[in-house]
Amino acid sequence: MTKYAIRRVLALLPVFLVVTGIVFLLIHLVPGDPIDNLVRAGSDPEQRAAIARAYGLDRSLVEQYLTWMGHLAQGDLGTAIVQRRPVADLIAENIGYSLALGGSALAFSAIVGVLAGVVAASFQDRPLDRMLMGAALIGSTVPSFWLGLLMILLFAVELGWVPVSGARHWTSVILPAATVGLAGMALVARVTRIAMVQTARADFVTLLHANGVSRFAIQSRHLLRHALVPVLTLLSLRIGLIVGGSVTVEYVFARPGLGSLLIRAINQRDYPVIQGCLLMLAVAVMLGTLIGDLLQAAMDPRQREEQRS
Amino acid sequence: MSPLLGVRDLAVTFGAQRPLDDVGFRVERGEILGLVGESGSGKSITAMTVMGLLPLVGGRVAAGSIRFEDTELVGLEEPAYRRLRGGRIALITQNPMTSLDPMVRIGRQVDRGARLHLGLDAATARARTLELMERMRIPDAARVCELHPHQLSGGMKQRIVIAMALSGAPDLLIADEPTTALDVIVQAQIVQLLVELVREQRLGLVLITHDMGLVAQACDRVAVMYCGRIVESGPVDTMFAAPRHPYTRALTACIPRPGLRHGDLVGIPGAVPSVAEMPTGCRFHPRCADAMPTCRQHAPRSVAIGADHAVACRLVEPAPEAAP
Repeated sequence: MTKYAIRRVLALLPVFLVVTGIVFLLIHLVPGDPIDNLVRAGSDPEQRAAIARAYGLDRSLVEQYLTWMGHLAQGDLGTAIVQRRPVADLIAENIGYSLALGGSALAFSAIVGVLAGVVAASFQDRPLDRMLMGAALIGSTVPSFWLGLLMILLFAVELGWVPVSGARHWTSVILPAATVGLAGMALVARVTRIAMVQTARADFVTLLHANGVSRFAIQSRHLLRHALVPVLTLLSLRIGLIVGGSVTVEYVFARPGLGSLLIRAINQRDYPVIQGCLLMLAVAVMLGTLIGDLLQAAMDPRQREEQRS
Repeated sequence: MSPLLGVRDLAVTFGAQRPLDDVGFRVERGEILGLVGESGSGKSITAMTVMGLLPLVGGRVAAGSIRFEDTELVGLEEPAYRRLRGGRIALITQNPMTSLDPMVRIGRQVDRGARLHLGLDAATARARTLELMERMRIPDAARVCELHPHQLSGGMKQRIVIAMALSGAPDLLIADEPTTALDVIVQAQIVQLLVELVREQRLGLVLITHDMGLVAQACDRVAVMYCGRIVESGPVDTMFAAPRHPYTRALTACIPRPGLRHGDLVGIPGAVPSVAEMPTGCRFHPRCADAMPTCRQHAPRSVAIGADHAVACRLVEPAPEAAP
């Protein structure tokens, strides 16, 4: 298992290198540059050239990439061109909010989703199952910005239980987390249900019944364990998504976060910030996949074997 | 004394379909009954019905009786049935590849029966597991207990499945094509093990198979199924020496034997009809070489034509040797 883990981590290194290259090229190939945001309209080309030189933007892309990578290797993400602050500081300021929102949304979708899926599977094709799956369908199709607004109206404005927006108190995370988590929950519920229903048809489950194991024990101890394998994969793939993927919800609830930081940086073509944020997201996705793989290997002995051969 | 298992007039429905009708057979202690038939003849449904697992596949017992010793199983409450399953009646499934939980270690899967039905604690159950596994001639049992199913061969897995079935100390085994998925040499070993078990521990065994060779080799008595009905049943010797039902005759003719020349072996023309479009009257009449007009209209009753030998065929009913 330890060997497997080490190999998985090493396998991520080339992926990381490719990702840095793509992240770097992606934004530099987009038209426009940060200088537009620093100078007034109609300023002369001399001035622009001076600024470009100061930030090294006049050098070739390869040179710029190597410089960035050199700094990155020393743990330096660079300094924001427009916001004029170290990128690391900007990210540090915002990532806490993103992790709080993403983490609670992930926990919400995992717990409620698995529960709903298990209940639906045990009442397969009966009214309760149809009701839950109908709700899951609605949950996964409703756009989150609209759902967020509805929830603000109901829980913050009408009932006054939680703050409307911002991130000053811990209760302010509840509504955005529920909003982001609902889509994930619906997906998790459906995957849990289908995995349980499918596993229930396996021969070994028939044999469990034939051995006199009770229905409840089969559901809770055997089927659920099998169903959790795809669910964990799904959830770990969402880790990356959840760190930066809640931009619209952050916007609706006026929350700071990595998503908002990234959007602002993109508008200003603030290269170092965009690179830093994208790199964070890429690392989150990679870590998510890694965690998913490791968990899966820990749960399913066949997984470990296949990787070995 | 009542038989270990006695099934009478059993009918099973799946919605509007009736894959089992008028099924009857019995098994004594220490006896191996071969339940033979083509795919789709209702053998596996019979196994599921006796195990009380029909609701799992969406079926229902419509009529008849299944007596296990002195207990009527049709209509038995689920908690009582659950104690019987694994504890008194055990199932051996046909595909060892998929019959073990891939995520659980072998030892724990075999322990289950003893812990559930004999009330043994973990250590005692494991001791019993090791004993059973050695009984099944599994080498290095202690090490195998720590393995996961994918690390074992098919033959090993089938031995494990049998050890699992024995764990709760049952009196009756129902083996649904236990050797179909295995290669020929392993098949012979598994069958040998089953036969030894039955003889030594005086278990009852219902051996479900489509392999007439296996029946001749291992069984004491045979019941031949066709389209959800038992067409003929009797002792193995009688059935092979003097099969009476045209279907049994055709089946025994399908067994390869020494001295056979190329082209001598003939199959049965036609195919097993689907449950949805069962023929009227005798269900075999469309494929029967000796069918009479009456076969199309009237389902034949099963008649005793000798000691322990019964046939459901119009051709046989008036036969003089049917009289005692």
